[in-house]
Amino acid sequence: MTVEQNFEALDQFPIGMRVLAVDDDQTCLRILESLLRHCQYNVTTTNQAQKALELLRENKNKFDLVISDVDMPDMDGFKLLELVGLEMDLPVIMLSAHSDPKYVMKGVTHGACDYLLKPVRIEELKNIWQHVVRKNRGSNNGEKRDGSGNEGVGNSDQNSGRANRKRKDQYNEDEDEERDDNDDSSAAKKQRVVWTVELHKKFVAAVNQLGYEKAMPKKILDLMNVEKLTRENVASHLQKFRLYLKRISGVTNQQAIMANSDLHFLQMSSSLNGLDSFHHRPIPVGPGQFHGGAPPMRPFPSNGILGRLNTPSGIGVRNLSSPPAGMFLQNQTDLGKFHHVSSSLPLNHSDGGNILQGLPMPLEFDQLQANNNNNNNNNNNIRNMNNNKSIAGSSMAFPSFSTHQNSLIRAPNNNLVVLDGHPQASPPGFPGHQNNKRLEHWSNAVSSSTLPPPQTSNSIHHQFDVSPLPHSRPDPLEWNNVSSSYSIPFCDSASTMSPQALDTPNPGAFSRNTDFNSNANANAQPGGFYDSLQMRQSGNYGPTTDAMLSTNPKEGFVVGQQKLQSGGFMSADAGSLDDIVNSTMKQEQSQGELSGGDLGYGGFSSLRTCI
Amino acid sequence: MDLVQMQKSLQDYTKSLFLEGILDSQFLQLQQLQDESNPDFVSQVVTLFFQDSDRILNDLSLSLDQQVVDFKKVDPHVHQLKGSSSSIGAQRVKNACVVFRNFCEQQNVEACHRCLQQVKQEYYLVKNRLETLFKLEQQIVASGGMVPAVELGF
Repeated sequence: MTVEQNFEALDQFPIGMRVLAVDDDQTCLRILESLLRHCQYNVTTTNQAQKALELLRENKNKFDLVISDVDMPDMDGFKLLELVGLEMDLPVIMLSAHSDPKYVMKGVTHGACDYLLKPVRIEELKNIWQHVVRKNRGSNNGEKRDGSGNEGVGNSDQNSGRANRKRKDQYNEDEDEERDDNDDSSAAKKQRVVWTVELHKKFVAAVNQLGYEKAMPKKILDLMNVEKLTRENVASHLQKFRLYLKRISGVTNQQAIMANSDLHFLQMSSSLNGLDSFHHRPIPVGPGQFHGGAPPMRPFPSNGILGRLNTPSGIGVRNLSSPPAGMFLQNQTDLGKFHHVSSSLPLNHSDGGNILQGLPMPLEFDQLQANNNNNNNNNNNIRNMNNNKSIAGSSMAFPSFSTHQNSLIRAPNNNLVVLDGHPQASPPGFPGHQNNKRLEHWSNAVSSSTLPPPQTSNSIHHQFDVSPLPHSRPDPLEWNNVSSSYSIPFCDSASTMSPQALDTPNPGAFSRNTDFNSNANANAQPGGFYDSLQMRQSGNYGPTTDAMLSTNPKEGFVVGQQKLQSGGFMSADAGSLDDIVNSTMKQEQSQGELSGGDLGYGGFSSLRTCI
Repeated sequence: MDLVQMQKSLQDYTKSLFLEGILDSQFLQLQQLQDESNPDFVSQVVTLFFQDSDRILNDLSLSLDQQVVDFKKVDPHVHQLKGSSSSIGAQRVKNACVVFRNFCEQQNVEACHRCLQQVKQEYYLVKNRLETLFKLEQQIVASGGMVPAVELGF
C-alpha cells in the first residue's frame, strides 16, 4: 500500500481495521470473514492457531485486532490469547459456542477484551473496534513518567500497571531523555508514573526483599531508589499489585503468570484500568457551548488515560498528556513537554515516516498555540510542529484525545482552548481535516503537536468552532460510535472552509490541509484527527454538526484506532486526551471569555469548527 | 411454471422453513451477506457446512460405536457441530446438539446414541430442504430471473 493509501485507510478507522480471524471450523470462519468484511474491516483468516501466531509474530504491526475461537485442535484458544496478549499486546476477542460463564471468565482472566458467543451477529462485530481504541489508550496512559508531583494514588490507578510493552519502554526512555531537556515546570505538575517493566521489576524485587507481608510503600520506595518516584506512586502500585496477586491466585495458568508476572501484571492492570476507565467514564460533555464559562469537561481521570497511548505514536501522545490535566494547558512548559513528546516519537517511530502522520492534532496545536511563531505560517510542515516548542496547543489537543471516550470529543476542545490561550494563533489549519484519520495518526499528531502551524500540506483546513470538547459532545460514546462521523467532510460542508491550506493566518478559520499524502506531515494527520474530534465537539457550534457527524458513518472514528503503518498506533488514549481536554478546559475557563473568533465561538478566538 | 410463480414458490418455501423452525434468523443474516461481490455466498457456506457436518457425524458414529466411548473426543465434535449449525441458522440441528452435549456430560452412552440419531435426522432434514431451496433458486436464475429477497414477517 502506498503511503497515501495507508493514510486513507487509516483515516477511516474503523473502516479498514485489520483483523485476524482464527477458527478451525471452516464454516464459521467463512461466515466470520464475510461478516467482518461487511463491517468494512480488512480481514485475514486462518484456521490454525499456529499459523495465526506466525502471522502475528512476523509483523507486529500488521494487525489491529485478533478474533479467535476458543476450541481449536492445535492450540487452546486461551493459550493463543495469552501469547498474543503478552507478545504483541493486541486486543483479542474470544469467540465460542460455549456460553458457560466459566469460559467467559477464563477469557477475561486470560486477558481477552471481549467474549462473543456463536453465532456471531454483525451488530456485535460492528463495535469491536472499540477494543482497539481502548487498548491503545490504556497502553499509552501508563507510559508517562514524570518527576515530582505524581498524581498520587487516585490518578496512578489509571496509569500504573498499564501493560508496558517493550516499545513503550523504549518510548519511555526516549521520553524521559527528552523530558530532561524540557522545561522544568513539570515539577509543578502532577506527573504520572509510568510503570515500565523495569520499574515494576525493581518494585517486585524490593517487595520480595522486604517480604510481601512486610512491604510498606516507604520502604519499597527506599529500596527501589528511583528518582522522582514518590511514596504515593509506590503505594498505589502496591495496592494494585496486591489485588492482582489475589486475582491470579485463582487462575489456573499460574505458571505462565509467574513466568511473565511483570508483564502480566502490568498488562492486567492496564487492561483492567482500561476497561474500568472505559466503562466508568461517561463523558460529561454536554452540548453546551463553550462560553469560556463552565466547560462541562469533567475532570476526567485522564491522567491514566492520557498515558495510554501504546504505540510509538502513542508515546508522543503520552508525553503530552503527562502533565497533569488541568495544569497542563496552563503551563507553557507543557508545550515544552509536547515538544519533547513529539521529538521522542520520531525516535520510536519505526517506519521512518512521520509519526505524526495522520494526526491532525498537532496541526491544531500549531494553530492554537500562541507561542508558535509559525502561527501565521500555515504552511508549516508538520515536522515543524514537532519541533515547535509551543506545546500548549498540543497539550490541549492532547487532552481531547486522551480520553478514550471523552478525549475524542475533547480533543477539539482542546484545540479550541488552546486557541484561546493563543489568540494570535491563527488556526493555520486544523490538523487533519480528515478526522477520519486513525487515532494513531492522531496520537502522532498529538505528540508532535507542538502545534506548529498545521500548515502541512496534508492538513485540511477547516474552520472549526473551537468548542470545548465537553461541550460539543457529551457522549464519548459517540466517538465510539462507528457511525459517528467526525469526518471533516462534514465540517467542510458545513463550513466555509476552504480545503486548501491556509496561507495566511486566519484566526477565524481553521483550515486544514487536506493534503495528507505526505507522510512527512504526520502532524497533519493528528490534526486531522483532532479536527474530527473537534468537529464532533463543535457539534454544538455548528448547526449542522450533529447532522453532519452522524451522517457519515464512514468518516468516523478516526481516533486512533488504527495503527499507523509506522507502527505507531495512536489510539486516543482517553486518559491522555482527557487530561488534555481537561487542562484545556481549565485553561479556557481561566481565560475568561472567548475571544470572538470568526466563527463566533466565545472562547476560541480563532478556532471554530465549521460544523 | 413462469418466473413469477417460481419466485413466489421460492418465497413460500423459504418462509415455511422458518416457520417450521428448521432455519432461524441467522440464515437470514447469511442471505444478507450475499451481494454482488459475493453472489454465491450462501450456497458456498452451506456447502462448507455440509462437508464439515458429514465428517463430524461420521466421526461421532465411529466414536460412539467404540467399546469404550471416549467422551473427551465426542464432546468437541458435538460442540463444533453446534457452533457451525448455529452459525448458519440450522436451528433444529443446533438444538439437538445441545441436548446431545448434556448427555455427553453425563456420559450416558445410550442417550448419546439416541441423540446422535436425532441430530442426524435433523441434519438430513435441513440438508434436504436447503438443497431444494438452492435448486429453486437456480431455476429462477436460469430462467433469467432474480432471486427475490427474503421477506419474512419476523
